[in-house]
Amino acid sequence: MIRFGLPGEEARLLQDTAERFVADRYGLAQRAVMLARPPQEAPAHWREMAALGWLAAPLPRGVGGLGMAPVHLQGLLETLGAGLILEPYGPAIMNCAATLSRLLPRAQAAGALAPMLAGDRVEVLAASPMGQALVQAEPEGDGWALSGTVPLVPGGAAAHAFWVAVDCGAESALAHVPASKAQVRGFRLVDGQAAASACFDGVSCGPRACFTGAADALAHGADMGLWAALAETSGLIGALCRATLDHVKLRQQFGRPIGRFQVVQHRMADMYMHTEEARSMAQLTAEALEEKDAGVRRRLLSAARVKTDAAARAVLRDAVQLHGGMGMTDELAVGHMVKRLLVLAQTGGSRAAHLKRFQASG
Amino acid sequence: MTDLLNSPEDIAFRREIRDFVAAELNPDTRDRIRRGAPLRHEDIARWHKSMYRKGWVAPTWPVQHGGAGWSARQRLIADEELFRLHTPPLPNFGPRMIGPILIRFGSRAQQQRFLPAILSGADWWCQGFSEPGAGSDLASLTTRAVPTDGGWIVTGAKTWTTFAQHANRMFCLVRTDGQVKKQEGISMMLIDMDAPGVSRRPIRLMDGTEEVNEILLDQVFVPCGMVVGEVNRGWTYAKALLEGERLGIGGIGRCKHLLGRVRHMAQGADDALADARLAELEIDIMALEATTLRLLAAAEAGVPLGAETSLLKIRGTEIQQALTELMLDIAGPAALVPVAAGSNEDVFENVVCQFLNWRKLSIYGGSNEIQRTILAGQVLGL
Ligand SMILES: Cc1cc2nc3c(=O)[nH]c(=O)nc-3n(C[C@H](O)[C@H](O)[C@H](O)COP(=O)(O)OP(=O)(O)OC[C@H]3O[C@@H](n4cnc5c(N)ncnc54)[C@H](O)[C@@H]3O)c2cc1C
Repeated sequence: MIRFGLPGEEARLLQDTAERFVADRYGLAQRAVMLARPPQEAPAHWREMAALGWLAAPLPRGVGGLGMAPVHLQGLLETLGAGLILEPYGPAIMNCAATLSRLLPRAQAAGALAPMLAGDRVEVLAASPMGQALVQAEPEGDGWALSGTVPLVPGGAAAHAFWVAVDCGAESALAHVPASKAQVRGFRLVDGQAAASACFDGVSCGPRACFTGAADALAHGADMGLWAALAETSGLIGALCRATLDHVKLRQQFGRPIGRFQVVQHRMADMYMHTEEARSMAQLTAEALEEKDAGVRRRLLSAARVKTDAAARAVLRDAVQLHGGMGMTDELAVGHMVKRLLVLAQTGGSRAAHLKRFQASG
Repeated sequence: MTDLLNSPEDIAFRREIRDFVAAELNPDTRDRIRRGAPLRHEDIARWHKSMYRKGWVAPTWPVQHGGAGWSARQRLIADEELFRLHTPPLPNFGPRMIGPILIRFGSRAQQQRFLPAILSGADWWCQGFSEPGAGSDLASLTTRAVPTDGGWIVTGAKTWTTFAQHANRMFCLVRTDGQVKKQEGISMMLIDMDAPGVSRRPIRLMDGTEEVNEILLDQVFVPCGMVVGEVNRGWTYAKALLEGERLGIGGIGRCKHLLGRVRHMAQGADDALADARLAELEIDIMALEATTLRLLAAAEAGVPLGAETSLLKIRGTEIQQALTELMLDIAGPAALVPVAAGSNEDVFENVVCQFLNWRKLSIYGGSNEIQRTILAGQVLGL
C-alpha cells in the first residue's frame, strides 16, 4: 500500500549525517583530489560509510543488514547523489549486495556479505544495465567455462570479485569470479565514477562458484539498483535547482538580479515542478519496492525512470542555460552535476528501455 | 537529406567545391571532423592555407579586398557543402567578424595592414567583448580606456575569449566615456596580444576542453590608429558585427552535418523511437532552410533584413542541441566509457563532449532568451 508518509526520526538522522559527511568530505577541491587518483584504488571513504551503517542499512537483518526500508533511505540517497560522492554505493550495495541477499541461503549470504558491509571488500554485478547476462557459460566438469565481456561494470575498477550474470541455457544464473581471474580494464566514466570493462574469456568456475535459479535475486537487485539511481537523480535535480536559484538571485544584468526577469522566473518555476515530480516518483517507487506483485512493482519503477529522465533533462538544460557562461565551466558544481546526471540516466536501464517495458506491462 | 538549392548553376558550384575538397583536404583531418573529435589548431591552420590559395577564406568580402565575392545563395551552398565534406570550419573572428567591420568602418591604413593578414592566416583574431560583469548586458562593460600621448591606456578584464591562446590580435570593446548613456561611451580597439600588460588565464569547460580564456588588460597602451572608426561609436560597430552574416546564423550546414552523424550512429540500431525523432529533426532543418531562403529572396528583392533573423539563430541552435541529445540516447551507456587507445573507429566517441560543449550555442552570440526578447520587442512591437 502506498502511503506517502513523512520520513521518520531515524531517516532524518541518517540524512543529517549524510549532509555533514558531504559538506566535510566532498568540497569540489577535495573531490578533484580523489578524481586524480587511479580508479583501481579502494574508494576513499568506503570504510567510513560502513562505520556509519550506510552499507548495511538497506539489507535484511537476517543477513547482517539493518533492515531499513527504502522509504527511510531516500533522504540518504538523495543527499549522497547531490553530494556527487564517488563511492560505489549504488552498484556494490543497492544492486550487488541486494542481489546476494536473495540469491544465497541466509547463513551463506551473511558470510559473503559480512566483509562487504564492513567495507573490506567491494563486489559488484557484471551484467547489462537491466541485469541481463552478457557472458556465456558452457558446462566444464562440475562447473562452467565462461566467455564474453561486460563493457561497463559500474564500480568495477576497484572490485575484488564479480558476480557475473551468465547465460547457461534455460536458467538465469550467476558465477562468482575473483577479479584476479578476469581481464579488467579500469577507468573513470564521464562523471568521474570508477568503473571497468571485464572480459571473462577462458575463466573456469568450480561448482561452488556457480549459482543457478538466480532470476528472482537478479530482478530484486535490478529493482533496488534502479531505485537507488532514481533517488540519487532526484537529489541531484533538487541540488541543481537550488544552485540555479541562488545564482539567479545573485547575478546582476541590466541593473537587477536576472531572477527578476519573468522568463527566468518561469524557467525556475518549471525547474521547481520537475524537482517535486522527481521526488514524488522516487518516493512512490520506494514504497512500491515493498509491493508483492512484481508486475505492479516493475510498472511503477519503469514509469519513474521515464518521468525522472524527462525531469533530469529539462533541469540540466535550464541549469546550464541560466548560469550563462559560468554554467559551461568545470569550476562550479553545476557542470559536475550535469555529468553525473548523464551517467545516472543510463544506470538501471535507459528511458527508452523502460518506456518499452512500461508499454508492454499495460 | 534533400538539397533545396539545386538549379544547374547551384549544382555546378557544388561540384567545384567537391572537386576542390577532394584534392585538398587531409584525410586525417576529415576523419576527425567526421567523428566529431575536438578541433585541433593544426587541422584548422592547414585547411585555412588551402582555402587561402583558392581565395575562399572570406565568403562575405568584396573581391577587391580579396574576398570570395559569393552571393548569399552561394554562401549557403558553400556552407552546406564544406560541412557535408567534413572540412574544419574556419574561425569566424577574422574573416566573418572583424574583417567586414574594417571594410565598412576601418581606416585605409587598418584595411591595408589587417585584411591581407586575415586572409593569409598570418593574423588570428579573438573577440574581447564579454566581461565578468557584462554578458547579456554587454553595454555595461567596464574595461576603461584613458587618453594618453598618441593613444590610450586600457585597463580591465575580458572573459570567455574563445581561442585567445591561438590569437595574436584581439578586437575589443572598451569604455572611453563614462559620463554619457552607456551605449554612447564605448569604442572598439584593436589590441596586440603581445603588448605589455596583456595576460591570459585558460578556463576549463565541463567537457574538459580549454577553448575559452580570461584576458587581463593592465595598463595596455593602444595607439590612436588602432581605434576602429570614430571614438565612442563602438556600440554601433559591435551591433553591426554581431548582426553580420545574418543569413548564415542558423548554421544549416552544421545542422545537416550533425544530422548525418546521428543518422550514421542510428544505423542498424533498429530503434523506432530514434528513427522517428531523426525524421522530425530533418523536417525541422528543412523548415529552417526554407525560412532562410524565403528571407534571402525578400532581401534580394530589396526588403531589408531586420531583427527577424533572430529566429534563425534560435531554431538553428535548438536543432543542433536536440541532435546532440538524440546522439546521447542512441549511444546509451557506450557514450560514457572512455575509448581505449587505438580504437578510433568507435562512432560513439565524443558524443558526451559534444553534448556538453553544444550547450554553449544557446548562451553565446546573444542568448536565446535575449534573441526572443528581440523578436518580441523589435518584430512584434511588444
Ligand atoms: C563557450 C563560450 C564561448 C564564448 N566566446 C566568447 C568570445 O569569444 N568573446 C566574447 O566576447 N564572448 C564570448 N562568450 C560570452 C557570451 O557571449 C556570453 O556568455 C553571453 O553573452 C551571456 O552572458 P553571461 O555568460 O554573462 O550570462 P548572463 O548574461 O549572466 O545570463 C545568464 C542567464 O540569464 C539570462 N538573461 C540575462 N538577461 C536576461 C533578460 N533580460 N531576460 C531574460 N533572460 C536574461 C540569459 O539568457 C542566461 O540564460 C562565450 C561564451 C561561451 C559560453
